[in-house]
Amino acid sequence: MRTRRLSLLAAALFVFGAPAAAEPVKLLRPEQYRPRIVEAKNGRVLVVNFWATWCIPCREEMPRLVAAASGFTAKDVAVVLVATDTPKTAVAVPKFLKEMKVPFVCWQVKSADPQIFIDAADRSWDGTLPYTIVYDRKGAAAARLAGPQTEAAFAGAIRKALGAPR
Amino acid sequence: MTLARTAALILGAAVTVAAASAPAADLAIGGAAPDFTLPAASDGKPVARRELLSKNKGVAILFIATKCPVSNAYNERMAALAKEYTAKGIAFVGINSNKTEPAAETADHAKKNGFAFFVVKDDGNKVADAYGAQKTPEIFLLDAAGKLTYHGRIDENQDDAKGVKSPDFRNALDAFLAGKPVPVAQTKAFGCTIKRV
Repeated sequence: MRTRRLSLLAAALFVFGAPAAAEPVKLLRPEQYRPRIVEAKNGRVLVVNFWATWCIPCREEMPRLVAAASGFTAKDVAVVLVATDTPKTAVAVPKFLKEMKVPFVCWQVKSADPQIFIDAADRSWDGTLPYTIVYDRKGAAAARLAGPQTEAAFAGAIRKALGAPR
Repeated sequence: MTLARTAALILGAAVTVAAASAPAADLAIGGAAPDFTLPAASDGKPVARRELLSKNKGVAILFIATKCPVSNAYNERMAALAKEYTAKGIAFVGINSNKTEPAAETADHAKKNGFAFFVVKDDGNKVADAYGAQKTPEIFLLDAAGKLTYHGRIDENQDDAKGVKSPDFRNALDAFLAGKPVPVAQTKAFGCTIKRV
């Protein structure tokens, strides 16, 4: 099991490059969500995972997202994390990502009112965490995954957005 | 009748929901909210929504948790709101639907945080399902007829009670008590997911 985890991690590092956890977590305002996250990745399938350090199911889900993403190349699929921590808990975000060796870029929500950000990201989202949106290559939402997902569920949604057989 | 049988009857009577137990779609503002009777976390005595409605101008239902940091960030605010608005005729009832938080823990948490309102245990999350509650904290404000007048968050500022700019629940309570339409009747609650069976 441990060997499998290590090989998944190695595969993830190979596909997605050096761990992005070493990068500073950048702040993201509601109005920046579409241009900086979604439109910036047009041409690739984009997986956006909304999470928070205080959200236990989010923390438990993270290795499953890493494992699922390891099956795809960075040429086809980008994964971006959006932490919804408040200023009080945001300090724990880079620490968690580093400890878990999460190889994805992470943005930190900066919004005085969480609902403004939630609506900017997806009006149909009720704010439940974790929450994942899978966008197709043109930036249209292909899947909305509410609550913690399995590795297979992530991989299936990505394959579907790629137009590949599930 | 044995003590055990009496206790079983009380418990059986205490866990009733006048609605399907499957997760419901979001209740509509102005729509009838399901009735329920649940056991108090402290002593198991039944707390009936119907009875609370009959004796008050309205009922505020707060889905809460003992371990959720977001719900806990609002403990003082919930205690203060309950104290203030109970005096104005609104009954408060906190519901713990988390399978991971037993009744004794729920009662202890309520005591430690000065919750001077009913705190009940929703084993099997039947009431959470009937209301479509997903998070803690999440608020449902009902009028005396049991119709939903506000659903959502307490306010927008989890970190700082003094920095709140959008006191949505308080605004709803004030408008409701003044006989005016609630200005924003539906907001998006944020917090921990209710841990269902």
